[in-house]
Amino acid sequence: MIKESNGYILEVKNLNVFYGNFQAVKEVSFSVKGGEIFGLLGPNGAGKTSSLSSVEGLLKPQSGSITVAGIDTTQDPLHARANMGVQLQSTNFQPELRVEEIIRLYGGVHGVKLSKDDIAKILNDIKLSDAGKKPFGQLSGGQQQRVSLVIALLHQPPLVLLDEPTTGLDPQSRRQLWERMEGLREKGHGILLTTHSMEEAEAVCDRIAIIDHGRIIATDTPAALVEKHRHDEPVVRASRKGRITLEDVFIGLTGSDIRE
Amino acid sequence: MQATLASTADGLRSLMRADFTTQWRNRKSVILVLIVPVIILISWKGLVDKFGAVFVLSNCITVGLNAIGLMGYTIAIARDRDRGIFQRLRVSPIPSWTIMMSRISVQLLMILLLTVCVYFFGYNIDKISISPAGYVLGFLAALVGGAVYLGLGQMIVGLIKNAETVNSTTRLVYFAFIMVGMFGELGVLGKQISEISKWSPYGAVRRILSDAMDPIHWNQESTMTLFVTIGYAVLFTVLGIKWFRWNSK
Repeated sequence: MIKESNGYILEVKNLNVFYGNFQAVKEVSFSVKGGEIFGLLGPNGAGKTSSLSSVEGLLKPQSGSITVAGIDTTQDPLHARANMGVQLQSTNFQPELRVEEIIRLYGGVHGVKLSKDDIAKILNDIKLSDAGKKPFGQLSGGQQQRVSLVIALLHQPPLVLLDEPTTGLDPQSRRQLWERMEGLREKGHGILLTTHSMEEAEAVCDRIAIIDHGRIIATDTPAALVEKHRHDEPVVRASRKGRITLEDVFIGLTGSDIRE
Repeated sequence: MQATLASTADGLRSLMRADFTTQWRNRKSVILVLIVPVIILISWKGLVDKFGAVFVLSNCITVGLNAIGLMGYTIAIARDRDRGIFQRLRVSPIPSWTIMMSRISVQLLMILLLTVCVYFFGYNIDKISISPAGYVLGFLAALVGGAVYLGLGQMIVGLIKNAETVNSTTRLVYFAFIMVGMFGELGVLGKQISEISKWSPYGAVRRILSDAMDPIHWNQESTMTLFVTIGYAVLFTVLGIKWFRWNSK
């Protein structure tokens, strides 16, 4: 039984993540509703992936709470993961397995029984009807992303986690992925997306949180963030050709120094 | 929208199907693991009368177990960890132990294949025949011996994160065990090495294989060696699990 706690499919409260003595995530709190695309933006090393990994269950936070569909991820991790569909930043599958075998594997681990016709339909939906018998490694970047996303959605999870999904994609593949994300939103899935791309954040995200040095420093819709900070001096200084963009707000809030 | 949670049995079954398919597609590496014991059987044909049938068979199986645990299992785990395959599985709603259990089950099949292969070629090339009890007990001893090398491999992949370093380390350990273990026991490397190798993981595994295949001569020292072998397996496995990280980064 899926519960949306107060209308939120994901609630992260006061999350703290440490790597040894280094605190990567500091008191991070955010929520994602069903039928919403929520973006987590930040420079390199800001804590985006650490936050996402904590939600995914790959990292154990020092403190804080994470609930997915009302299920506490530390108390009932398997049920929590059953309600998530995850596309990791660098997804890889066994290179010896063919695409249809990978789909069958992940259907099986998610309790979704798939016949040959079901798999054929899935591949047809993502325009990869001819790729079923190919090893995953032989697909192009865009094709791999399509397969990774469809595997993340096999079990119809209420929450979808995408870690920089358009990295390395050509513009056409990126646009297609955005359309798929918007399609998922229309169906009521909640999507948590991490991205470096301001263009992507503005194009698809309903709300975004900007994270820097492990802390969330701003949360709102892209348009509201621009409106709220358009007169801030660091933002104005960052602007180019007089027009304030989300990127200017981002650089104004996080600084223009290059992060390692 | 409803999310389903697969039963652990269904999840394990799916994993095993995928892992067995992967192993089947890597048939060449399977053949390489099996061919070295066969080569030893052929080249040691003349030693059967001198050292005994079970000595030859047990050495062949031990060499094969060495390869399965160190070269096959360990390198595959390190490679897949490096690729992020385990991370992808760990965000799925299956217990982590099922991921490793599936991998181990493939290795158990490899141990069975190895033992049957050595018995088959031992019979056909070296004309070695042992009692039915010897064949069965030998296989059981091979499972115990396999646990030693799988545990050792798990320890190596737990200690070392870099896949290339794991690759080179396991090859070194494999050759060291073969050289010291096999030739040490033959007495070629001197009496001291011979004594050390007797109680080394190689020597202990070889001894329990040899004595299991000739159960009439099982004695107190055989039992002691069995305990030592089980001790190695437990120690290596516990340390390997304790040190293992699912991510190489």
